[in-house]
Amino acid sequence: MSRLAAIIASSDAEERNQPLDSLCEPLSPAELLAECDALEQFRQRSQNLYERVRALFFLYAIHRFHLPRRSGVPQEGRIPFSGYLHLLERRFEESIRELLAEQRQQGPNAALSSALAAAYRSLGFQTLADQVRRSVRSTRGNQWMFRTGHPYDAPLRIRRELLAEDPSTGLRPILRETTPVRMDFSHSAWSDIFFLGMDYPEGARVFNTSINLAVRGAGSGEPRPPVEASFRIIDEPLLRLVSVDLGATADIRHTSELFDFARDYLGLLKAAVIASGLVPPGMEASGLDLSDLLERLTGARGLGIELTSRVLDIPKGSRLAVSTSLLACLITACMRATGQVRRLEGGLEEDERRMVAARAILGEWLGGSGGGWQDSGGVWPGMKLIEGVPARPGDVEYGISRGCLLPRHRVFPLDEITAETRARLQQSLVLVHGGMAQDVGPVLEMVTEKYLLRLAAEWRARLEAGGILDEILACLKRGDIRGLGACTQRNFEGPIQTIIPWAGNHYTDLLIAEARRAFGPRFWGFWMLGGMAGGGMGFLLDPDAAAQGRDTLGQILLDVKRRLERGVPFAMDPVVYDFSINERGTWSELLRGAQALMPHGYYTLRGPSLLRRQARELTPAQRRELEVFAAAARTRPEWSGMAYALFERLLPSAQPGAASSRQALEELLAANGFDRVQHEKIRADLRSGRIGLAQNRLPVTTRIEDVREGDVADARSAAPPAFTRLGEEALASGALAIVTLAGGMGTRWTRGAGVVKALNPFVRLAGRWRNFLEIHLAKSRRTQRRLGAAPVHIITTSFMTHAPIEEWLRREENYGYAGPVVLSPGRSIGLRLVPMARDLRFAWEEMPQQVLDEQKQKVRESARAALIQWAISSGEGSDYTDNLPEQCVHPVGHWYEIPNLLLNGVLRRLLEERPQLRYLLLHNIDTLGAWADPALLGRHIDSGAAMTCEVTAREMDDRGGGLARVDGRLRLVEGLALPEERIEFELRYYNTNTMWISVDPLLAVFGLTRSDLDDAERTRDAVRRMAARMPAYVTLKDVKKRWGKGQEDVFPVSQYEKLWGDMTALPEWRCAYVAVERRRGQQLKEVAQLDGWLREGSAAWVEQLCDF
Amino acid sequence: MMRVKKCVLTAAAPAQRRLPLQMLIDRDGVERSVLAILLDEAARAGMEEIGVVICPGDADACAAVAGEHAARVRFIEQPEPRGYAHALACARPFVGNEPFLHMVGDHLFVSRDGAGCAARLVAAAEQEDCSISAVQPTREGQLAQFGAVGGQPVPGKPGLYRIDAVLEKPTPTEAEQKIFVPGLRAGHYLCFFGLHVFTPAVMDLVEQLLAREPGPCPISAALDELARSERYLALEMQDRRYDLGARYGLLHAQLALALAGKDRAEILASLVELLALQPGSGGRA
Repeated sequence: MSRLAAIIASSDAEERNQPLDSLCEPLSPAELLAECDALEQFRQRSQNLYERVRALFFLYAIHRFHLPRRSGVPQEGRIPFSGYLHLLERRFEESIRELLAEQRQQGPNAALSSALAAAYRSLGFQTLADQVRRSVRSTRGNQWMFRTGHPYDAPLRIRRELLAEDPSTGLRPILRETTPVRMDFSHSAWSDIFFLGMDYPEGARVFNTSINLAVRGAGSGEPRPPVEASFRIIDEPLLRLVSVDLGATADIRHTSELFDFARDYLGLLKAAVIASGLVPPGMEASGLDLSDLLERLTGARGLGIELTSRVLDIPKGSRLAVSTSLLACLITACMRATGQVRRLEGGLEEDERRMVAARAILGEWLGGSGGGWQDSGGVWPGMKLIEGVPARPGDVEYGISRGCLLPRHRVFPLDEITAETRARLQQSLVLVHGGMAQDVGPVLEMVTEKYLLRLAAEWRARLEAGGILDEILACLKRGDIRGLGACTQRNFEGPIQTIIPWAGNHYTDLLIAEARRAFGPRFWGFWMLGGMAGGGMGFLLDPDAAAQGRDTLGQILLDVKRRLERGVPFAMDPVVYDFSINERGTWSELLRGAQALMPHGYYTLRGPSLLRRQARELTPAQRRELEVFAAAARTRPEWSGMAYALFERLLPSAQPGAASSRQALEELLAANGFDRVQHEKIRADLRSGRIGLAQNRLPVTTRIEDVREGDVADARSAAPPAFTRLGEEALASGALAIVTLAGGMGTRWTRGAGVVKALNPFVRLAGRWRNFLEIHLAKSRRTQRRLGAAPVHIITTSFMTHAPIEEWLRREENYGYAGPVVLSPGRSIGLRLVPMARDLRFAWEEMPQQVLDEQKQKVRESARAALIQWAISSGEGSDYTDNLPEQCVHPVGHWYEIPNLLLNGVLRRLLEERPQLRYLLLHNIDTLGAWADPALLGRHIDSGAAMTCEVTAREMDDRGGGLARVDGRLRLVEGLALPEERIEFELRYYNTNTMWISVDPLLAVFGLTRSDLDDAERTRDAVRRMAARMPAYVTLKDVKKRWGKGQEDVFPVSQYEKLWGDMTALPEWRCAYVAVERRRGQQLKEVAQLDGWLREGSAAWVEQLCDF
Repeated sequence: MMRVKKCVLTAAAPAQRRLPLQMLIDRDGVERSVLAILLDEAARAGMEEIGVVICPGDADACAAVAGEHAARVRFIEQPEPRGYAHALACARPFVGNEPFLHMVGDHLFVSRDGAGCAARLVAAAEQEDCSISAVQPTREGQLAQFGAVGGQPVPGKPGLYRIDAVLEKPTPTEAEQKIFVPGLRAGHYLCFFGLHVFTPAVMDLVEQLLAREPGPCPISAALDELARSERYLALEMQDRRYDLGARYGLLHAQLALALAGKDRAEILASLVELLALQPGSGGRA
């Protein structure tokens, strides 16, 4: 057996827990390949799930981090398109087979390794997800739901108490379930991820407490359980789902509507109805009407069920597991109603809580989301330790995974953690929502990966986190809140950020520093909640300081947010909570008689539609309910403002802010030179089908081939000294300006959050969080130090990025860069359009794309169907105006950013001041490795080319065109323009969009000279003529729309853009191409890339290019 | 060895007090009351005395339809409608300190071989010398109608189970967690058949239960105690039982009796005729 396979299979924990990286370090490429062969055979042979998974992750890591970086392993290779397609379709085994066969033919290379790494990693996660799914299904108490496919088999009955009408009011009772949320003290380094808990149960430990909440200053009074569900029987044969806080309601009559999770905001309620067994998951795709099932459930024809949810003022992203708590709350209500929980009122027994937790896991899986196993902690009362459970004979997990799916909960009694300690904790802890919008999903994958690979520092950090949890418990037992603060602070600064640096962020670090400054020694510690910092967080203060401290902290949060908000995605303004520990867990009461009313918001939501109907159209129960409601509104103080609120809803009113928003948009367009005539032409073309996603493509008759020998110069090995000398001389003489493209929105970076990517502090380098702009300037500072001359730094901006960048640079004094920093403001703006359904279908149905895991894919398809409907109903091709003004407009592609230098006078002024300026280094904001390398500049000068384009050897994720011979001519070709997807896989070089441009030939291709730049009219004509020769691409972008309390919807919008790479198609413009190292050319497009970028050493390489 | 001579038949549920009086045609083509058929079942099992628990004032009506076994019957009135467990407890003076066969009055039992379901159960109880309940594997969709037991097969004795838990009308969620029985088909549980042989200890447990629970309650909780306090078995029946209180329950029972008896051919013929007359079936009168 190979060394690595032996480690995986070892029964000795110390042997098994060795870090992969240090094992691989001494191995040669041949030895690594031999290990890969052995691991591949081992994983095929092994019967043990976690052995297979760990082997898959070892294979992934070798191909991702080790093999391609060994000398002697070629960078270029060809990824077979069919292997890629298998990967997209989640046929991972087929993909791996094909890629390995190709590796035997081509020999190992970085391109194939990148594809193999992706396939092994995906298969690893798929195997884990399948196992969790199987465990959820096979948990006793869940199994029957997957067998029940027909109403005649449906075994549940609604309890009689819920069917009986009250003799005085005629109303049926309402079952009201209220549930606290959970706040974790420590999750022992995310040890509650299912994959971890099931493989490493002894390390899976979480300590959390159930809490009630109220938002400070929101008038919501004393802290209460933040989530609530109401269940009742109605006299209509349908399932009515109502979300009071999201303002959504749906009448569901058919199973297909119930299993359609993303068509409205009621996915969570649907998942609860299914996971509670009310409509068991076995009925999916049965095509059945719900009326028969409802008859069987209620025992009478014509009756139905209404389920209402309400979240009390708690914004999304609180890191308090609000959505899992709500899911568990809804499930509990449904299980009580059907006798699956014994008591109709009051709390739950331990076995019932476990069942609810198992059902919540099922519900999470159905809804395509997923939390940790501690997330239904609010169902339990008070403070509890939640621990992984090793699987034993008789458990469904036994022999498959080392741990069970469900953990064990131990609730701490008051004699272990006293009431006084609990009270002091409540006085000390200031609980806040920082307001940041975040996606924890990638963090959970990173944690799993690092655990399986047993990365050395991360593994030590994991063990340390376990120790901190013990310390936290000890502090609580002896009532030492100050000590607790020290522990949570150490946990955040130590193990948490050692494992996941991205769990922290600039915002949080600033908050901690400000809190320290404001409170001095009375600040006892920071407390990260849940998966990452920035949203829900805690600050422990001396109780004497905490009362006032809540207001002080609220102000600090707001100030820091204001300072960062153009560079950091926030979903909302920060809030401070009041909280109290909930000592009873989920709780239910039966509201009878005149008390049997739904929550307040229900009547403002549903009331208008009821009142607009004729009295005779109302069902008897609806009439009786309105009578009771009217009486309550007249006589009961807690219902006193309801009549007015309802009246307000009934009268038509303009949307608040709609007019001012429309005006702001008009002003924004006018100020940025919006061309209405051109816009109307684009709209007409889009609607008529003359332009569109499919029309971006070159004709199918175009001959597109890979480069030939000699087309590309190789700059990856040591450069001839002559080039370096030439470049250094040019740099020293001030012949180079660096042009950083910072006009774009970076939509993939924040999924359309509308912040300035250039200013996003995304990584800690040299001890501080740095943003993209700062890093680029730091590289130029290093050039200045080395050669004595500071290159001019031009930052191209757009309507969206100009003011924030200008302000930021002023505030930070250009990050201490001594050379000139010039902003080049954009002169072009487009207005986004509602996309054509045709284009959405083309993008989602005809283009090959990554299929998701089964349930997530269903949810995505459902969401996409809803978005196509949205496009049709809002008017395809109409202006997209239903959002903040800056989210409705778009920059029109980076082609315009160079002509803008001519149009806005920046180049003219620079040439006046520095006539020696002859070259531009153009690069994207996210190409962090791009720097003024004298050897490359020298090579460009020596070649005599007008433009030298840097390319890298293509790897798996490099999508979007490349370098090709198009009808015999060498040029860059955009991915959008390729007539067929597969062609891209024939092109071995990828465009980095980093280009060295000679200024005079640039002017010449526009038909200009240096002196012509003084003539604005002539310059404008020249740019217009060139623009007409450039293709415009229609693209779809995601844009976020924020609403409610931290809620975000993502909409696709159409826009068009022109891209600079198309300049290489001009016959009169001589271009050269040079292959550079990957770490130089790599672009960071998505946050999920960061961890790999750090681990592969690229971040460290960039850091040594910088002089901060 | 235990010898069972007494039987307790409960028929006092207010909603079902008319059921024992219903007339059916038995296997032999003779019209008899439900009560008479049940008494016959008990008598064939060797019961010498049969206590029938009834609502106050029903004795005369019941006596009138008791048929040939009337002489063995003693009517026991349940003074107030306090549920099933209380009804059984009312028979305590009647059974004294002896084991007894217990039959529910709203079920009809049809054995495949005609030997009698109760007889088979009593024989098994006498042989095993312990309490024993007749059970039948039942689909989870019908769990809402029955008490159900969990347990393990007794090695070497096919059809016999050692009961370790009893639940009253469990939801499948609870059933899967608590009364999983190895060897049954997926989604099937051992549910009560309506026939039991109990040791006198059951009466103690029922009385304790009644002391705890003031309202009407089933006997499952007491039987769950029984399973934990002494050897308690379940016998899987291959025969059929019909719940007369269910919708169309009497009709089902009548059809089952008729199709198991001498008039099978006649009944089948009329059924076929009825089917042919179904609207839309294309048949003609």
